[in-house]
Amino acid sequence: MKCKFKKLGTVLSLSISLLATQNGFADTLKIGWLSSLTGPLSSAAIAENQGVELAVEEINKSGGILGKQIELLTRDTAGDPTKAVNFAKQLAFTDKVQFVIGPVNSGEGLATVPILASAGIPNIVIGSLDELIDPVKYPKAFRMINTNRQWISTANDYALKVLKKSKVAIIADTSGYGTSSAKSATELLDKAGIKPVYSVLVDPNKTDLSDEMNKARAAGADIVMPWSAATGLLARVLNARGDMGWSVPVVGHPALMAAQIRKLLNKPEYWDNTYAAGYMSTTYMSDGKLPAPTQALVNKVRPKLGGGEIDILFWWVALGYDAVKAIEYASKTAGSTDPAAIQKVLEGSKEFKGVYANYSWSPTEHNGFPDSNMTVNSANTFKDGSFKLAPH
Amino acid sequence: MLNVFVAGLAIGMVFAAVALMYNVMYSTSKVLSVTTGHLSMLGGVFGAYAISILHLHWSIGLLAAVLVGAAFGWITELLGVRRILAKSDEHLWLLSTLALATIVQQLIGLWWGTEPKPFPRLIAQDFNAGLLDQKFWLPIIITLLMALGLELFYKRTMYGKVFMAMSEDPFAARARGISTDQIRQMSYLLSGALGGLAGFAAGQLTFAYFALGLTLTLNGFIALAVGGLGSNIGALIGGVALGLLNAFVSHWFGGEYQQTMAVGLLLTVLLVKPEGLLGSRKLRPV
Repeated sequence: MKCKFKKLGTVLSLSISLLATQNGFADTLKIGWLSSLTGPLSSAAIAENQGVELAVEEINKSGGILGKQIELLTRDTAGDPTKAVNFAKQLAFTDKVQFVIGPVNSGEGLATVPILASAGIPNIVIGSLDELIDPVKYPKAFRMINTNRQWISTANDYALKVLKKSKVAIIADTSGYGTSSAKSATELLDKAGIKPVYSVLVDPNKTDLSDEMNKARAAGADIVMPWSAATGLLARVLNARGDMGWSVPVVGHPALMAAQIRKLLNKPEYWDNTYAAGYMSTTYMSDGKLPAPTQALVNKVRPKLGGGEIDILFWWVALGYDAVKAIEYASKTAGSTDPAAIQKVLEGSKEFKGVYANYSWSPTEHNGFPDSNMTVNSANTFKDGSFKLAPH
Repeated sequence: MLNVFVAGLAIGMVFAAVALMYNVMYSTSKVLSVTTGHLSMLGGVFGAYAISILHLHWSIGLLAAVLVGAAFGWITELLGVRRILAKSDEHLWLLSTLALATIVQQLIGLWWGTEPKPFPRLIAQDFNAGLLDQKFWLPIIITLLMALGLELFYKRTMYGKVFMAMSEDPFAARARGISTDQIRQMSYLLSGALGGLAGFAAGQLTFAYFALGLTLTLNGFIALAVGGLGSNIGALIGGVALGLLNAFVSHWFGGEYQQTMAVGLLLTVLLVKPEGLLGSRKLRPV
């Protein structure tokens, strides 16, 4: 009787293995994708998801990675760090993924990066907060987006060196991001020998910014630099400036260029004389053209977005696309998905060519985004997800 | 300095409107619903939707805002309050109304989007009107009218007196033949309609934003606790005090102290005068 059960068990397990192989379950490369597709700040995640899905589709059509099809496990964190933690654990310990991309928001990343590090899973980081990257504490976490300091120093350089302004007013929100950015902006200005004439933190839901803008003007500011991702707050800064008839330039966070801002402005011209940190890859050059890799990706993505004008920020699409392509590159170069081998390949990568940027990582530097791809755009020049270069 | 005062007064009046809505619902149910601020959020969102997207006249937009607010007030009573009160004396309504508030916020976020959207101009006026801009005076006037209307309603109408009777002693009211379930439902409908009106009036100040509800729920509660639960004059005083405190703290010390001071105000009032500035301390003789 025991022998019969043993034989039956062997036959069953063989059949299950065979079925699994035929259906591809055993032959997939699993990528976890922690994406805040709903909830606050979902617009970036939705755009990135376009790029991620397109890259997965392309790679799978061309035979996959190391002979395996990519199985994308998308988890909607809704921008909630608690959900992000639960999903990160599920992906690492239950689904046993080989890679994780995300989460999208830095606040979620602060909670998940240590978990994925302890699970030893290579993590493509797409949050900009500086603390997310530490080659010693998180040896398998590699950042593909720029750091927050790159945004701030690019905007500062433009304000000081191109616009030749030196009386800076900093307006940031009271969120963790706003507070930390205001501090970084002040430190970086200090290194350039500039002390802001006015600096303030405001509640991101404050309904009127005319008090702060009046104070900035009274302090003699010749440039206003807002550091907040809250489009409502940024629109109120621009509305206050416009309503008081002040022609001061505004230079700051990329959210100043978001399409939502345009709708919140009292008058369209309130968006003039507004500039924000952006990227060379999504900037129209003097001939009116985008860089060739970006244009090629635009052409691929456009039909998937309905065929009309692209109304999402295209750099997010390019970032999502590059994140999957980096996984393909690392796995193919390493010849396996072994985490240690992936780490070695990425740490030896110089100028890995992507659409969003060309990335370089080293054993001591896991921030892969180059300063050379940073630039400043005119906020009111949005077209097909990209922008014109700010006046230089 | 005058612009700080006017901006603080305007948002303070929005908080006062939410505190008034709390009072209307509390009078018949002794429930402080977490959905209170969301009723106003719905007024702003649906008003903007009707006028900006459907291109309807602002009066139709106002009607839509009031009707949607009233409908959600009715749903709050039906799903979040009635069965809970029938089955338990515990404060489980806190959880049920929190659940409803979360559901409606998420649904609006999915449908309307998670970024703030503009609320249209209701009256032709240039944007450089400064302190005379309609975004400031519309919520101020509407909230004052709401407070006045509620006072007249309570003192001059039969239903208002029934609301008061239920507020004083629901058991005695029922013994006198008042259908307490029906009156409670009416109070939630009324509160929802007022919420829709307040959200519509404040739309240009707050934008049409899905996450506004919880902010208003919290600030409306602080205004209510400071002014005194059950007092409409107290709600106005509490709302204005909170709005001005927020504005002047932000002006003098910066936004990082705004929330701390607001909660500090609540704590101070609760320690010194737990029933609020104009609330009454009821003692039941045994």
